[in-house]
Amino acid sequence: MSRSTLFAAAVVLAAGTLAATAARADAVVGQPAPAFTLTDSQGKTHSLKDFAGKTVVLEWTNNECPFVKKHYDGKNMQAQQGEAKDDGVVWLVLNSSASGKQGHVTAEQANAIQAKWGARQAAYLFDTPGTVGRAYGAKTTPHMYVIDGQGILRYNGAIDSNPSSDPKDIPGATQYVRAALADLEAGKAVATPTTRPYGCSIKY
Amino acid sequence: MNPPSAPHRPPLARASLAALLGLFTAAAAGPVLATASPEQRTDHLVSRLVAEQEAAVPGRPLRLGLLLEHDPHWHTYWSNPGDSGLPTKVRWTLPAGVTAGEIAWPLPTRFVLGPVVNFGYEGRTLLPVTLEVPAGFAGEALEIEAHASWLVCREECIPGEAHYRLVLPVAASAVPGPWQQVFATADRRQPQPAPATLRARYEVGEREVLLRLAGDLPDGLERWQFFPATPDVVENAVEPEWRREGDGYTLRLARSTYFRQSPARFEVVLRDGERGLAFAATPALAPVASGATAAATGPAPTTLALALVLALLGGLVLNLMPCVFPVLSMKALGAVEAGGDRRALRRHGLWYAAGVVSSFLAMAALLLALRRGGEQLGWGFQLQEPAFVAVIALLLFAMALGFSGLVEFGARFAGLGGRLAAGHGDRAAFFTGVLACVVASPCTAPFMGTALGFALTQPPAAALAVFAALGLGLALPMLALGFVPALARRLPRPGSWMQTFRQLLAFPLYLTVVWLVWVYGEQTSPRGMALLLVALTGLAFALWLWSQATRAAGTSRLATQGAALAVLAASLAAPLAARPPVTAPAAERAGGAYEPWSAQRLAALRAEGRPVLVNMTAAWCITCLANERVALSSPDFAAALAARDVAYLKGDWTRRDPAITAYLEGFGRSGVPLYVLYPARGEPEVLPQILTPDLLRQALSRL
Repeated sequence: MSRSTLFAAAVVLAAGTLAATAARADAVVGQPAPAFTLTDSQGKTHSLKDFAGKTVVLEWTNNECPFVKKHYDGKNMQAQQGEAKDDGVVWLVLNSSASGKQGHVTAEQANAIQAKWGARQAAYLFDTPGTVGRAYGAKTTPHMYVIDGQGILRYNGAIDSNPSSDPKDIPGATQYVRAALADLEAGKAVATPTTRPYGCSIKY
Repeated sequence: MNPPSAPHRPPLARASLAALLGLFTAAAAGPVLATASPEQRTDHLVSRLVAEQEAAVPGRPLRLGLLLEHDPHWHTYWSNPGDSGLPTKVRWTLPAGVTAGEIAWPLPTRFVLGPVVNFGYEGRTLLPVTLEVPAGFAGEALEIEAHASWLVCREECIPGEAHYRLVLPVAASAVPGPWQQVFATADRRQPQPAPATLRARYEVGEREVLLRLAGDLPDGLERWQFFPATPDVVENAVEPEWRREGDGYTLRLARSTYFRQSPARFEVVLRDGERGLAFAATPALAPVASGATAAATGPAPTTLALALVLALLGGLVLNLMPCVFPVLSMKALGAVEAGGDRRALRRHGLWYAAGVVSSFLAMAALLLALRRGGEQLGWGFQLQEPAFVAVIALLLFAMALGFSGLVEFGARFAGLGGRLAAGHGDRAAFFTGVLACVVASPCTAPFMGTALGFALTQPPAAALAVFAALGLGLALPMLALGFVPALARRLPRPGSWMQTFRQLLAFPLYLTVVWLVWVYGEQTSPRGMALLLVALTGLAFALWLWSQATRAAGTSRLATQGAALAVLAASLAAPLAARPPVTAPAAERAGGAYEPWSAQRLAALRAEGRPVLVNMTAAWCITCLANERVALSSPDFAAALAARDVAYLKGDWTRRDPAITAYLEGFGRSGVPLYVLYPARGEPEVLPQILTPDLLRQALSRL
C-alpha cells in the first residue's frame, strides 16, 4: 500500500509540475501581462513597461458597437475613467479594428469621438493589425483588463455583470473593473479576477 | 448552411389568406383570429410569432414559435452565444393559468470571425416554445403577447426587439395550420436527447478539459461538430481533438479562460448536418483549483497527502459513531478476555486491522469499478441497495440473539470466548474487522466527506490508498491496544461481569436492527418491511432449531439441522430473492418547511434571487438524521429561514439518484450529508457535515 501511495503521490506531483510549466496563449490572471508598444491618437508611442509602478486598465473599444455605446451613452465608462485618473491609475483605450472593418477610425476621428463622449482615458492606442488584442485574447468590445504596478494581470473580463446593450441595466450591475481597482488599492487580492466579457466581437 | 426557404413560401401565402379571412371575421365580430402575428421588420431581421395549430385546445400543449428571417450574412444567437453576442430572449404576457416553457433551441451554426467564435442562426429559423393551456381554460379565444429581444450581427451588431400579439380561437380539437411545415422543419433541427446508454464524464485540468463518451454511439461521431451549451467550461474557438477509446471517445478540449468551477452538468450538443445529439456530462474530477483564477472562488485544494490524513482521522472518529459502537464493544470484550497476553492482543489487532482494511479496499474497488462502468454512485452506495440493508439487518439480529444468550452460535461467530491465539481466533478477528467496515458504511464521520470525494476523482491507486487510510483509522484503537502496553494494562480484569455486559450490548444491536428495518421500509414499502420482519423471525426460528439439534443425537440431529437450514433458506429468500414492492417515496410529507430538491427548482429559485438552503440526506445516513434532530428541526431554525425568506430544498439519496450524485460531485463530494447555503447573490457556501444550532444561525445571519 505504501508503495502505491508513493507512486500515486509521485504521479500527482509530476502532473502538477508539467501543467504549471506549460505555456498558454491568452493573457492569464496572476501572470505577467503581455508587453506591447503602440502609437496613440496624438502620435505618441507608449509601452506597457513605461507605466511600471502604476496600475493600468486596458479597454477595448469600437465606437459603433452598441455595447460600447451603452457604457458611454450611459456615462459609465467616462465616470470610471475619471475615478481611475483621480486615483493615479493609467486608463488605456485600445482599438483593434482592422482597416476597412467596423470601428476602424483615423486618429482625428478617434479624438473627436472620445471628446464628444467626454472620455477621460490617458491614451487611445491603435492596434490595427490586432497583434496586441490577440496576445491578450481580447474578444469583445468592451473587454477589460487590469494590470498591477508589477505588470501582473489582475483582472480579465467584462466591464460589469449584466450582459445587455441597454444603458438602463447599468445601475443594477456589479462594476467588475471598479471593484478590482478598489481591491488593488486596498492591497487585497481581486475578489472576482475573471469574468466572461460580453459585447460585439472585435473586428480583427 | 442556409436553411431551405423556398418550400415554405406556400404556407406564407396561405397564412396571408388566413389573415385576410381573419380580417373579414374581425369585421364581423370580435378580435382578429389568426395563427400568426403580423410581421415585424427590424434591422436586418423579419420576425413574427406563429402557432402550429389552428386553435388552442384546453388541457393540451400548444406550440408557438418565434420565426426569424435574417438578411443574408446576418445572424442571431443560440442559448450560448459563444465569445460575443447575446442569446435571443422572449418574455410572455399570457392569460391566467397559461404558462410558457423555455425556447427549444434548434441546432446552432458556428460562426468564426478571426479568433472569435459564435454560435447562432442565420437564414430562416424557428425558435419553438411550448405553452401549457390548462384543461379548465374558459374563453373563446386565447390572447398571447410576446416581447422578444436579440442581437443581430454580420460583423457589426445591432440590438433589436419587437412586440407580437396573437389571438387564437379555443376549440375542443385542432388541426395543424399553415405553419405546420415550419414546425416540422424546426423539429428536424432539434438535437435529440442522447440514448440512455450514453455515459458522459468530463474532467477539468490546468489547461485542458477531457470529455469521455461511452455507450451506444452513432458511427463516425468524431466528424460531428461540437457545441458547448454550458458556457465558460471550454474555449469556444478550439475544436475538440477526438480519440477513439474502448467503446467510446475521449475529446480533448481547451479550458475556457473564464472557467471558474465545474458545473454539475456540462451540457453539450453535437451536430452532423440536420442531425444532432444533446447530452450532459457530469464531472469525473473535482474542480481543480489553479492559479489565481480559482483561488478566489474554487474549493480548497485537496492534495493526496491531505486526503490521506483526513481519511485516517475520519476512520478514527468512525469508532465513536453509533453504527460502529456495538462491533467496537464486542472487540473490547475480546481484548479483555485476552487479558495479559500481549502477543495474542497484538496478533488479534493485526488480524482485525487486516479485516477492516481489506474490506474497505474491496468495497472501494467495487465502487470504482461500477463508477467506471458509468454508474452514478457515491459512498454509502451499498446501502442504496435494499438487499444489502436486509443482509446487515439479519446479520446484526443474529449477533444480538447470540449476545442475549438465546442461541449459542453467536459466541463462536463473533470470536467472543474464542481462543485468541488459535487460528480460529485469527479468522474471527478478521471477520470482526469485515463486520466493522460493513456497519460503518452508513456513518460519514467528519473529515471523511472531503477525503472520499477527492478519492473518487483520483486514479485507482490513489483512491484505494485513501480508502485504506480510512480503514486503518478505524482499526487504529485496536492496534494501539496490542502495541501500547500502557493501554492494555488499563483494561479491566475478565470476570462474570462480562456475561452481563454482553447481554447489555445486545440492546444497541436490536435498536440498530430496528433502524435498518425502517431504512428497508423507506426503500421499499410497508409490505417489503413486513417481509423482512418475517425473515428475522424465520432466522430466530432457524437458530433455535439448530441449538435444539446440538442436544439431539443421530438421525434426529441431522433432521433437525436440515430443518433449521431449510427454514433459514426460506426466511432469507423472502427479502433477497423476491424483488420487494416499491411505493413512491414519502418525500412530500405534509407540513414540512421544505420542498423536494431538483436542479430545475434550485435554478428557478436562484433566478428569482432568493437565498436557498440545500440539504442532501438519506434515511440510512445516521449523521444526516442526527443533524435533522439537533439543528434542522428546531422552531428557531424554521423562524430564521422565514425571516430571511430562505427557500429550503431537501434531496433524498436513500435510493439511487443520478441527479443528486451529480450535484454532490459538483461540490467534490461522494456522499451525504451535504449542506449548501446559497446567498441571494454570489457564491454558495458549503456548511460543515456536523451541524449545530449555533453554526446554522451564524451561517443564516451572514446572508
